[in-house]
Amino acid sequence: MAGVGAGPLRAMGRQALLLLALCATGAWGLYFHIGETEKRCFIEEIPDETMVIGNYRTQMWDKQKEVFLPSTPGLGMHVEVKDPDGKVVLSRQYGSEGRFTFTSHTPGDHQICLHSNSTRMALFAGGKLRVHLDIQVGEHANNYPEIAAKDKLTELQLRARQLLDQVEQIQKEQDYQRYREERFRLTSESTNQRVLWWSIAQTVILILTGIWQMRHLKSFFEAKKLV
Amino acid sequence: MSVCRRRGRHLEFLQTPDFPVNHEASREETRSGDNSTSRLFQPGISPAGMGDKIWLPFPVLLLAALPPVLLPGAAGFTPSLDSDFTFTLPAGQKECFYQPMPLKASLEIEYQVLDGAGLDIDFHLASPEGKTLVFEQRKSDGVHTVETEVGDYMFCFDNTFSTISEKVIFFELILDNMGEQAQEQEDWKKYITGTDMLDMKLEDILESINSIKSRLSKSGHIQTLLRAFEARDRNIQESNFDRVNFWSMVNLVVMVVVSAIQVYMLKSLFEDKRKSRT
Repeated sequence: MAGVGAGPLRAMGRQALLLLALCATGAWGLYFHIGETEKRCFIEEIPDETMVIGNYRTQMWDKQKEVFLPSTPGLGMHVEVKDPDGKVVLSRQYGSEGRFTFTSHTPGDHQICLHSNSTRMALFAGGKLRVHLDIQVGEHANNYPEIAAKDKLTELQLRARQLLDQVEQIQKEQDYQRYREERFRLTSESTNQRVLWWSIAQTVILILTGIWQMRHLKSFFEAKKLV
Repeated sequence: MSVCRRRGRHLEFLQTPDFPVNHEASREETRSGDNSTSRLFQPGISPAGMGDKIWLPFPVLLLAALPPVLLPGAAGFTPSLDSDFTFTLPAGQKECFYQPMPLKASLEIEYQVLDGAGLDIDFHLASPEGKTLVFEQRKSDGVHTVETEVGDYMFCFDNTFSTISEKVIFFELILDNMGEQAQEQEDWKKYITGTDMLDMKLEDILESINSIKSRLSKSGHIQTLLRAFEARDRNIQESNFDRVNFWSMVNLVVMVVVSAIQVYMLKSLFEDKRKSRT
């Protein structure tokens, strides 16, 4: 009996400690290292009227302690988002930890670029900044607890709402794919046409050039009284 | 708790799932982290595969209170379990990403090269101790799954073999069995208003809602994959188009120039002869 009671408790304790440890280091989330003047860009291909939320957190390398500090006050990141036509949708400075949101109005490849705004070389003597990044697109960006509180939904309603959002996002993505596939098909057909017409044109040009050369040289030689 | 392989991930392995039997639904829930639902209605009973989840409510609530204290300012940043990124890798460079993992979780990484001459890249996956788990050279796509230990897994994309062409790389991370974090994210129970009746029918409805949700997630993932394939094919086509245009123009110019040069060179040969004669 003691074993049955103590086992799960001990396991619970261990798991809780592990989770605490993970919480303390903030350690779940993709991260990468960025240099001082380096700019990292990510491309998100999204349909129109889709909301995108990005979260990031930065940590600086402490040269003396050889460890990453938990947070870096005073260090900011500049976030720039460009839409498929190259127009800047969002260009803002955020703190060492930030959250940026934008909604796409044209479907296509949106480019999200991050670079640090540090001008103080001393801060970056180690040369490394660790950036934790998370980008959520579409219905993943919805904050369901907030929606539940705002609209006063029961759990069933909330889950149904989430399913509806999910389906809507899938449908939007499908429409976008259909539009892309059509453009793809047009490009392919145009390439095919061009290859065909170019081959014919090339043959005609070659024949014409050959004829011109022969006639020109023949009249030249006749003029020089060689033929 | 077994590691759940998401069967519909790759196009070659598409299969239509059966209507969920009770234990299968709970397995799908485990992956998407919706265990809390069935547990609410069966407090003392442990269905197959969920026996070790009974003690969760207490640490979950405890830990729900803790993070705002431990991480000032980090409250609200709970990264998702599946993420995909597309980025441009300039020529001659290498970029690495790191993913922290707990024990006995499953990390699946799938990557594709979408654009760039040759459509190939070097891929390298290392464990937290630095041991190389996967090393692939000049591949255009790949998928790898590892059962993880605690620590930061590093994976790198290496474009140093190419001096002029930059590559666009798409990669997707799927994390399974991450444990309590999944529970917390989906634990909306704290936030809802109103009460639900503890009715057996309601429980069935909620279970089928959960299975619909996980299937829709799967559809979403397959869509992402298809989108990556399509993007790659489209990039190939557009570069074909550009190439055809460019080389046709070059061909035309070269032909015309060469024929003109031939004619005038021949003429110049004869003109010199005539001058020397007189």
